[in-house]
Amino acid sequence: MPDTPIRPSAWGGLTTILDTPLKRQVAIAVILMAMIVAPLLFGQYATVILTNALLYVVLALGLNIVVGYAGLLDLGFAAFFAVGAYTVGIATLNFGLNFWLALPLAVFFAIIAGIIIGTPTLRLRSDYLAIVTLGFGEIVRLAARNLRETGGASGLSGIESPWLFGWHISTPLDFYYVFCVLAIIAVVVSVRLANSRLGRAWLYVRHDEDAAEAMGIDRVKVKLAAYVVGAVYGAIGGAFFAANLGAISPNSFSFQQSVLILMAVILGGMGKIPGVILGAFIVILAPELLRDFGDLRLFIFAVGLLLIMLFRPSGIWPAKSRTGARR
Amino acid sequence: MRNLLKTAAGLALAFSLGAPAIAQDTLTIGLLVPTTGSEATYGQDMANAANLAIAEINAAGGVLGKQLASTVGDDACDAQQAVNAASKLASSGVVGIVGGYCSGATLPTLKIFGDAKLPMIIPAANSTKLIPENPGNVFMVNSTGNDQVAKAIEYFTAKNIKSIAIVNQGDAYSQDLADLTRTNWEAAGNTVTKFETTNKGEQDYSSVVTSIKSGNPDAVFWTAYYADGGLLIRQLREQGYQGLIAVGDGSNSPELFKIAGPAAEGVIGFSNPTAEFLPDAKTFAENYQKAYGTAPGPYSTLTYDATKLLAWAFTTAGSTDFDAVVATLQGANFTDTISGPISFTPEKTLARSNFVVLEGKGGAWTLPQ
Amino acid sequence: MGFIDIFSQQLVNGIVLGSFYALVALGYTMVFGVVKLLNFAHGDLYMVGGFAGFLILSFLSPFIGPGWFGVAVSMVFAMIAVGILGVVIERVAYAPMLSAPRLSILITALAVSLVLQNGMLTITKGQYVPFGSALGFGGVNLGSLFISYNQMILVGVSIALMAGLEIFVSRTQYGRAMRAVSVDKDMSRLLGINVNRVIAGTFFLGTGLAAAAGTMAGAYYGSLWYFMGFLIGLKAFTAAVIGGIGSIPGAMLGGLILGLLESFGTQLPGVGSEWKDVFSFSVLILVLVFKPTGLLGKPEQERM
Repeated sequence: MPDTPIRPSAWGGLTTILDTPLKRQVAIAVILMAMIVAPLLFGQYATVILTNALLYVVLALGLNIVVGYAGLLDLGFAAFFAVGAYTVGIATLNFGLNFWLALPLAVFFAIIAGIIIGTPTLRLRSDYLAIVTLGFGEIVRLAARNLRETGGASGLSGIESPWLFGWHISTPLDFYYVFCVLAIIAVVVSVRLANSRLGRAWLYVRHDEDAAEAMGIDRVKVKLAAYVVGAVYGAIGGAFFAANLGAISPNSFSFQQSVLILMAVILGGMGKIPGVILGAFIVILAPELLRDFGDLRLFIFAVGLLLIMLFRPSGIWPAKSRTGARR
Repeated sequence: MRNLLKTAAGLALAFSLGAPAIAQDTLTIGLLVPTTGSEATYGQDMANAANLAIAEINAAGGVLGKQLASTVGDDACDAQQAVNAASKLASSGVVGIVGGYCSGATLPTLKIFGDAKLPMIIPAANSTKLIPENPGNVFMVNSTGNDQVAKAIEYFTAKNIKSIAIVNQGDAYSQDLADLTRTNWEAAGNTVTKFETTNKGEQDYSSVVTSIKSGNPDAVFWTAYYADGGLLIRQLREQGYQGLIAVGDGSNSPELFKIAGPAAEGVIGFSNPTAEFLPDAKTFAENYQKAYGTAPGPYSTLTYDATKLLAWAFTTAGSTDFDAVVATLQGANFTDTISGPISFTPEKTLARSNFVVLEGKGGAWTLPQ
Repeated sequence: MGFIDIFSQQLVNGIVLGSFYALVALGYTMVFGVVKLLNFAHGDLYMVGGFAGFLILSFLSPFIGPGWFGVAVSMVFAMIAVGILGVVIERVAYAPMLSAPRLSILITALAVSLVLQNGMLTITKGQYVPFGSALGFGGVNLGSLFISYNQMILVGVSIALMAGLEIFVSRTQYGRAMRAVSVDKDMSRLLGINVNRVIAGTFFLGTGLAAAAGTMAGAYYGSLWYFMGFLIGLKAFTAAVIGGIGSIPGAMLGGLILGLLESFGTQLPGVGSEWKDVFSFSVLILVLVFKPTGLLGKPEQERM
């Protein structure tokens, strides 16, 4: 038997700094204020980048549930992202559905996709899981590329931006605030999940599958739940991504995209929500900040990644003593 | 801790995402091309060509009494990256945009440049999907796929070719061209024996070649770019395919002959006139080779022309005022080009088809007799 | 072309393609065997190997010519040079990480891959580089079946390299140490095996094989590109997993199977080149559903 898993805090040690309700409320208020005023201070380009970073927060938090909570390596997360984006694209363009009707449809298809991907992989150990998820990711991308219903390689364009109670969500600033709300919901749901029965089951399965099973946890169901929840995150991110850009093509759902999301999860410190958020901001902001280096920017970004991993192998977010650097 | 990080990130943002101050005595053109990722080859070709044009314009005295400069926005051929790059260009004080290589990545940027009141000239991306999304500031100087297909079918028919195999690379440009060719070719009562889609960067085409040969077509039409096209041509000839091989305008680089070697002898290309044999373009090709150590790529000539066209529009309009420049471009009949005169339809696409038939001879493109 | 001709030609195509996959998959599987790391930079080392071979050949071709002999000599030098690069990468980037969470090493490997790719992008300015060898077009015609001399040499060299590796691993002291380390690192250390040296040696061999494949591919297909390692890395990973990752014969078998799946998939009506990768990945998933550790892999207990 391994050591008993300690219940980790999804906040990754933040609770030891923000130890009173007052401090927490102040912190939340400061962050909310920062989120609201940031685009007004920094202008349109920054708004676009921050929107993208918030999208990545949602996606990375979704993948974090699969990888960080349940311990399943997923190299094809972009598949769920694609399912969400294409469902919205096809439903609004071909069937004339309203965005808000297409959104639950996207979630529905993502759940189906999560089950399809999850079911055959449940018996597999992590490295095999890696290739199967990678394979599914590629299958989804290639299908989107080959099928005429998905617009082939050129993808879909002219996706209408949605209306909400008479508010036409259309400018970059509108979408920034929409993604702010999405990111906040994503964080809250992630925290709730981590503290739920399911969250504890994930922890046990991740820590020792066989022991968990012996303790009466149905690991098949528990893993599947992780996939499905992760898929829903991905699909919602994808749906709003499609609405925001108005145009989607298979290029956006490549293996590299899956890798970037995974980097966000691990770079900051997987399993820890502030770490994942930090990771998402780094993978989006760093290449942008390096734009002036031209074709060297990804090279510098990669060297930076390498250095971060070498100096902080468990991710940037500090692993506090109580929550422990485990595994 | 988190607040601290946020503040730090915010400060970093404030410093580097803010509009860089552009000197008053230069006019900067934004180049939206992929310079990283799998399409970097073509994007860098385009950036090179634009910079060559800018250098020549500056040597001749610049525009409106100012020197031209350029700044590259790397779209990495990805829609989201393109939006980021376009937003940065739009907020950095550029006076106009030349660029757009991947149609899929170019699409969501049109509105950004439209909102920022920047004239944009697209030298490469030519998907018909761009046309309805045009907010009014965008001019396309590349003929659309329809013109190319018309030229190809005219040529095949004249050569008494009845059946063809079409090979594309699974990207927006080559898949579009392949689909259009198939539709029109079959509508004309001919047959398509095989419709193949390869992956970019796949080196081994032998199984595709065998599949093509098993259909025994009169001709093979490669609708994608020279780099992989060169490999396909080589392997087609190596396996003993005897029929005609034709390539689209994405393959019109002389590099095709370096990669395919002698196998490219007799290959037919449908393209805008390329640099090697036009008297005006010859100097361009030589200068390009001198400056960058490589032959110009498939969209180099058009990018060069697009840059000159934009500079001309500023000069003619007498300012960089958006409405004046757009009106000038709309009424343009610009002949100082190496790829043929440029004027626009009301839809702001190139008014004429610029496609000619080329033939590979002795390791270079020639005009067939 | 009759059915038999098409079938046998696709068989030849599949074997040639498969031997490339196998050579690259071997490195994947060997590295995985000893350090349990999915080395995502492996495909990029194949790319670097191609460029190294090209560079060496352009220096040497005045003396030894640009034919197969020149390519073979350059290949050997490229294997050594890139093999050393592999060891350096292991020392610098992976060795300090071996006790870190496994996913962190995976990200490190992905970062190394990005460094190599974008470094080469900067060096080559993104251009395709014609390899500049002169291998000729000759071959043997059997009816309408065509096998070029180049293909025979390629497959021959691949088989020789793989056989050499197999003998090395199964017959030599060093090979035995490698196998011991792959089974139990701590136990091996207790038994007096220099584990670090074995890991370095494994990286050297695995990377060297990728460099050999890269040089041969460059010479045979005729051009090099900074991004050329990505796709083959993905395919080699797939091949290694089909065969059972960690198993050397498995990688060879997996490479061959993947090559054949792709060539026959291209020919199959309803699949074709458009869907051939979907076809291969579907077969991969089916294999894993029925045989969760690949065709020749051994079941093992592991956790992330």
